[in-house]
Amino acid sequence: MNIEHVSEFKYRILKEGKMRVDAAFYASEGILEDLRSEDYASLKQICNVAMLPGVVEPALTMPDIHWGYGFPIGGVAAFDPEDGGVVSPGGVGFDINCGVRLLISELSRKDVDPSEGRLVEDPQRIGLADTLYESIPSGVGKGRKDTGFVREDLEEVLVEGAGALVGRGYGEPKDLENIESEGRLPSANPKGVSNRAYQRGVSQLGTLGSGNHFLEVQYVDEIYDEEVARAYGLSEGKVTVLIHSGSRGLGHQVCQDYVERCMEAANRYGIELEDRQLAAAPIRSPEGKAYLGAMAAAANFAFANRQLITHFTRKAFRRAGFDSEAHHLRVLYDLAHNNAKFEEHGGREVLVHRKGATRAYGPGNEELPERYRSVGQPVLVPGDMGRYSFVLAGTEGAMSETFGSSAHGAGRKMGRRAAKKAAKGRNLRRELEDKGILVRAANRATIDEEMSEAYKDAAEVVDTTDRAGIGKKVARLRPLIVVKG
Amino acid sequence: MGEHHGYKSAFEGAAEAGSQTTPARDAMIRMLDHTADVGFELKAPTLEAMFDEARRALLMTVFERPPRSGEDEDSVRLSAPDLETLLVRWINELVFLIQGDGFVPVHADVRIEESGGEGFSLEASLTGASLDVEGHGWQGEIKSATFHRLDVTNESGCWQAQVILDV
Repeated sequence: MNIEHVSEFKYRILKEGKMRVDAAFYASEGILEDLRSEDYASLKQICNVAMLPGVVEPALTMPDIHWGYGFPIGGVAAFDPEDGGVVSPGGVGFDINCGVRLLISELSRKDVDPSEGRLVEDPQRIGLADTLYESIPSGVGKGRKDTGFVREDLEEVLVEGAGALVGRGYGEPKDLENIESEGRLPSANPKGVSNRAYQRGVSQLGTLGSGNHFLEVQYVDEIYDEEVARAYGLSEGKVTVLIHSGSRGLGHQVCQDYVERCMEAANRYGIELEDRQLAAAPIRSPEGKAYLGAMAAAANFAFANRQLITHFTRKAFRRAGFDSEAHHLRVLYDLAHNNAKFEEHGGREVLVHRKGATRAYGPGNEELPERYRSVGQPVLVPGDMGRYSFVLAGTEGAMSETFGSSAHGAGRKMGRRAAKKAAKGRNLRRELEDKGILVRAANRATIDEEMSEAYKDAAEVVDTTDRAGIGKKVARLRPLIVVKG
Repeated sequence: MGEHHGYKSAFEGAAEAGSQTTPARDAMIRMLDHTADVGFELKAPTLEAMFDEARRALLMTVFERPPRSGEDEDSVRLSAPDLETLLVRWINELVFLIQGDGFVPVHADVRIEESGGEGFSLEASLTGASLDVEGHGWQGEIKSATFHRLDVTNESGCWQAQVILDV
């Protein structure tokens, strides 16, 4: 692999062999060391992506790069439909349109955490944690029955996204303004979604999922950029809620269905695959169009899922006694980190795949809500449950270098089994309580697997992103309550 | 790329669940622990036994205390152009039964046939228990089996496979 050091945090992999274009990645010394220690396995994955037809230079990875199946996590790749460009279901991932939504209110930390972390036994805070946990199921074993949704409701959700739920009273019209693509991808085709996907989705709308999905009540503990923070409505001490969830079983099923179809199509169109999970079909082919229609439908389900979780979060806050006007939670932003979208970059329309990468449009972009347009879109980078998460802003650097993309999270550094082993003999729930963080989870295994030490430090990812100019640090958020599926 | 790069072997998981290699069974499950995903390697004397090992490995992945008996019955019929795809479909079918229908397949009678050059078909009769999230020690959802590094081979009469799951 021929790696060129371009600038302090930027590297280029010069094309060789079957690569059609160069690849590029962003890394600090520490991140580079991690890549070296895995013998550049994740970088080899982005080189495989750079071999696909119609790929636009360069194929990229963000600073939170890690090894995935097929595409690396943190991968960004644009394809030109006019140049035989392809769409790859594996390049979007199983959890289509998985993403994060940040809510904010005028509540301050002292309202939710009067003893500032010294006393987790505060009854109101315990009440809030318990109510949130009861109101937002993980979705396995017990699905969501209180909405009474049937297949017809789901069909509308797949076309209208978050708006279909606002129309049913689960939220406010204003919520939609602050969601990427206003919570709805156009050209969704609910008929391209299999019966099994519907079956999996109908009771899972409004459920969190398991693994790294979560809901956190947090507070703003540091501001890095006053001007942007003001535009976002963030100030020190304010309470926020961060929701991380996706398209649940419906999205997983859509991906399964179309990976297989695209594998057959790749064979038929003579697309050579270094890895079968990279299965792809030309964007303009019937198979490519069919996937894009079904993917948009699953994406709309994910937007709607986060909308419904928002509704039940608001309800839980009210039930826990945070029921005044000032306590109302507004949507600061909702963005996706697993999708493929048609966007204009370099004067042409390309299909940008983001697999574990966040859209990060810079200042002036007309797609952004007016209130954020002058400063760039909020970019939400969750960390692990014991430390912190970050809010960044999209930059011009991201627009010119990364197809308007940035990092999406901390990235694991420890396998799940290894984490459980490391957690043996420890009471992580208690350890978190000692740090002032209340955890509610379905089981101990989830807490152990998701322990802080299993993740890289999000601060390193965020600092690298900031210093490479593909995202600007705005604020840091610390957890008070963590709900895991 | 090194075949097992990025993986850490974890035989202890198999041992914990009481399903390490035994001379009587002559089959083996080796759990793989990758930073972002999980998976397993399987070995068995017959193709059918290897597919059944995949079921057992799946239960070991999703449950701390997989049920050992059950009264419910179900059946599965699948076909696929090749054995790799058949294995992915089989695992995904079982994931659906567990996570979607709440049916945990504790025993499977698997039959696989080559369908006249048209690929392979699988029929399985399943006995299972109802999903008990707390009782079975639910470990978290599986999104899907993947085609990444998927491999099914037969070497000197021993069937082997490697599967990576997205969790």
